[in-house]
Amino acid sequence: MPESAWGDKIMKCESCNKKHATVHLTEIVGAVKKERHLCEECAQSINTQLTKIPSPTEILTSLINQVAPEISEMSKIVCPVCGLSYLEFRSHGRLGCPMDYTIFRKGLIPLLEKMHGSTQHVGKVPSRAGREIIRKNELMQLRNELNKAVEKEDYEKAAELRDRIYELSGDTSEDQ
Amino acid sequence: MSFQATPVKISDLADNTGEWLRGTGPESDIVISSRIRLARNVARFPFLSRANVKQKKELEEVVRDKIREAEITSDLRYINLAEINPVDRLFLVERHLISREHAGGEGERGVAFGRSETISLMVNEEDHLRIQVIRSGFELREAWKTIDEVDNKLEKKLNYAYSSRFGYLTACPTNVGTGMRASVMLHLPALGMTHHIEKVFNAVMKLGLVVRGLYGEGTQVSGDLYQISNQFTLGKSEKEIIEIIESVIPRITSYERMARKALISENKEQLEDRVWRSYGMLKVARMISSEEIMHLLSQVRMGVNLGIINDIEMKTLNELFIFTLPGHLQKLEGRELTSLQRNIIRAAYVRKRLEKAESLKG
Ligand SMILES: [Zn+2]
Ligand SMILES: [Zn+2]
Repeated sequence: MPESAWGDKIMKCESCNKKHATVHLTEIVGAVKKERHLCEECAQSINTQLTKIPSPTEILTSLINQVAPEISEMSKIVCPVCGLSYLEFRSHGRLGCPMDYTIFRKGLIPLLEKMHGSTQHVGKVPSRAGREIIRKNELMQLRNELNKAVEKEDYEKAAELRDRIYELSGDTSEDQ
Repeated sequence: MSFQATPVKISDLADNTGEWLRGTGPESDIVISSRIRLARNVARFPFLSRANVKQKKELEEVVRDKIREAEITSDLRYINLAEINPVDRLFLVERHLISREHAGGEGERGVAFGRSETISLMVNEEDHLRIQVIRSGFELREAWKTIDEVDNKLEKKLNYAYSSRFGYLTACPTNVGTGMRASVMLHLPALGMTHHIEKVFNAVMKLGLVVRGLYGEGTQVSGDLYQISNQFTLGKSEKEIIEIIESVIPRITSYERMARKALISENKEQLEDRVWRSYGMLKVARMISSEEIMHLLSQVRMGVNLGIINDIEMKTLNELFIFTLPGHLQKLEGRELTSLQRNIIRAAYVRKRLEKAESLKG
């Protein structure tokens, strides 16, 4: 094939260098994009290697191994509800039942901190969980917004937020 | 209230497409779709990895019944995934109605979705329930409104596993908190061509967002299609997460538009040549692989957006991205096909669609 007007060659397969590259793959590893131009056959054979990009589970388990402390007292803990042990969680990255968030709390907190940069939910609250939680979460969110407003030196917004916080908390002495 | 009485045949779905493929909505030249999903679990049941066959069955029944009772939309249908074959499941994955993990899973599981394919509810995926809403174009806020309402209806029927500290409790700690993944699918051919796409990735990652390929986690990028979604689910509210994504998307779309403009002003003939060659290839080729078609469609899609090609509708192109995938071709053809057979049928299908599109546009 001739050079195309685009400047790049009408591409040959970069693996066998014989056939016409009809398969154009892009991989993202971290923030790096890598392009590969292959013929159909080479692409087929290489496909198995390509899918070896670490799966989210692999990333997760390696993170767990780095962060979730191997506390000796934790290693003996087994959830009485689902039977999952802390060690099993550490190796698979999946929890066994909702209760595990309580049972493995000590190990989970540093992990969640690393993973999400936070260990406190501030989002939606199911209505049955009650008004009290909704109020607490709203307060927490307003405080976050207040911090942001102060950072941005938007004092008008900050004052407004402060008033809403006072209102919700019902305690005018509270400052944050 | 019940699900649609007649059992759904997957082949019936093959004649239509979901509304999210219409190619309409804000910024739809670059933003193909906006999607939100929520992970929810039922309290007092183990997560699926620790559930036995009996518990899985019970969960499937309970969640399915509650979805039905919640009166989400009048045209909801339900498919038991354990009862259909792998090609049908692949079809549903390509349609974005279920995830790959859900298709490849084991045991009792299913999916409910409406006729417009905007809402889908996956039962016994990684979590007991995954609610998803997809809309055409850049409409995260609308998607959130819809999914929030669906979730409100469901929480009246289902006792969700929830704690005030950790929020919605999920099988994997990466989803805990809001249980929300909001994502936007972008078509960025010019940024790819001009090698500026890494800059986008870097900027996006600094904001705690992740970039993925068309079919989610671990998939390769093809057709210059990228999904940008939130990484963190704990410590930020749903609204805040959406705002972060909303703030970054217009910057990416204008960057892509700038790159396109630069290509036109500096390499007009080359760009046109590239677009028309791709279009020509689609109209004459006798065999096209699934990777090649993504590449060709991407070029042509950009050509249509830039007004280089005027005789194809965006909807047709968006549909071709999906209808030429292996599961769809096999459903259209009504039988299993080898990869070689698919390449032949894919080329024939595209030729037919493009001829029809041209004759319609006169
Ligand atoms: Zn080759
Ligand atoms: Zn447990």
